[in-house]
Amino acid sequence: MITLDDVSKRFPNGTFALRDVDLAIEAADFVFLVGSSGAGKSTLIRLLIREELPSSGRVVVDGEDVARLARGRVPKLRRKIGVVFQDFKLLPTKTVAENVAFALIVTGHSGPNVREETDRVLSLVGLSQRRDHFPDQLSGGEQQRTALARALVNRPRILIADEPTGNLDPVTSWEIIKLLTRVNELGTTMVMATHNAEIVNALRRRVVHLDHGRIVRDEREGQYAA
Amino acid sequence: MIRWATYIGTAAVHGFTRNPAMSLASTLTVTLMLTLFAFFLTTDRGLQAAVGVLESKVELAAYIDDNAKVSDVLDMKKRIEADPAVARVDYVTKDQALQRLRDIAANRPDFAFTEISTNPLPASLEVKMAEAREAKRLAQDLRAEIGKGVIYDVVDNPQVVDQLLTITRVLSVGGVAVLAMMLVVSLFVIVNTIRIAVHARRDEIEIMQLVGASDWFVRWPFILEGMIVGTLGAVVALAILFAAAGPVTTVMLDFVDILPLSFGPEFVGQLVASVFGVALLVGAGGATLSVRAHLAK
Repeated sequence: MITLDDVSKRFPNGTFALRDVDLAIEAADFVFLVGSSGAGKSTLIRLLIREELPSSGRVVVDGEDVARLARGRVPKLRRKIGVVFQDFKLLPTKTVAENVAFALIVTGHSGPNVREETDRVLSLVGLSQRRDHFPDQLSGGEQQRTALARALVNRPRILIADEPTGNLDPVTSWEIIKLLTRVNELGTTMVMATHNAEIVNALRRRVVHLDHGRIVRDEREGQYAA
Repeated sequence: MIRWATYIGTAAVHGFTRNPAMSLASTLTVTLMLTLFAFFLTTDRGLQAAVGVLESKVELAAYIDDNAKVSDVLDMKKRIEADPAVARVDYVTKDQALQRLRDIAANRPDFAFTEISTNPLPASLEVKMAEAREAKRLAQDLRAEIGKGVIYDVVDNPQVVDQLLTITRVLSVGGVAVLAMMLVVSLFVIVNTIRIAVHARRDEIEIMQLVGASDWFVRWPFILEGMIVGTLGAVVALAILFAAAGPVTTVMLDFVDILPLSFGPEFVGQLVASVFGVALLVGAGGATLSVRAHLAK
């Protein structure tokens, strides 16, 4: 599903965010990206959604070489990938349902389909009762679940979460993680960058450890620390 | 499709109303540009009509020496007729000239006409110009013939045409220059207005791009907003123009005296279409430039 082949990312100031990274992620896999701040986790994620281009090497996502992708085809790639961030990135002037439906409308969906799909994902993340609330009327966990619903509404093949629990308390974090594992069990490939050792250790999933832009550890049922 | 259109329409209107000061400033700039544009088109049309009318009236008269041979006169007539700037040459004999004078006298009770035995009026070649701006040159050519036995005097009155042609030329060059400047200013203001709108909605744009909206989908609300600015500018400019049309026409008539200034529905249609066309182009063009710059980041 995702292949990084000898990928390096060098910024104009000369520093390397990633160096000689080889990584293969199968469909329906669940992968934790761990490592200290600045290790290259976010850069790797930005390469996958083509917010950045690799300086060298090849990044292939669902059969598409992202560096060679024409600009006009980038939206199609991104529709296959759902993304969730630490800061939720919700639109404050839209309700929960509107935030979710927004992802459908701007990708060209219309008609009763928008309402149906919105209801489906809101029910999946348990927010059906909160559909008409605005983000500032929601708890952090509810905001993250709204963001998750938005990421899932286009039925992506891959879900990428960049520190999704970074702003949440432990109990709420677990709610989000349960949702993510459920989405993964339904067949969505899951890539999650995190600093949350408790969650990584409890789930016993694949762990890819980055340090100074290099992969220093890649374990099938890994722990947060070696 | 409906949700898509609703989203784009709503976003565009929100963009326009969210920043009223800037929207008003850009609308006013576009209005000013379009008013000048419409005024330029109208005046140009009026002056061209005037030039046309005056050109058809421009005449030269070459008075013929009484002793000239008819064959020489006819040769001269042929020579003048061969000039491409000339529409027609009439040979008016001494008798015809006298008859004209009699006809005029008959219609004018205040004009006393006393029969005399000789005819003091000269024969003449009356030249109607096809291109008025050549009248001066032709008059000079003919004056060069004075004293060679056929022509003894040349009468022309090209000042009015000269003035009008000068005005038209100045207006064309000056008008295009002013319009070009106004166009640049309008574009600049629209680009900045839309840039502010883009900045205000940068989070929304980021999310749109993240979930896979096409660049066109991101662009459309802003292009529409630019078109709203243009359309409002066009409406105000045309309102100003139609309100001012009466007084301006009066001034123009006083100024050039004889203009048959009537702008038919066809011209009004063309004017409205041109103003709206320029308005939409400038609005949409400015917005496209602005959003493209943001998306290219």
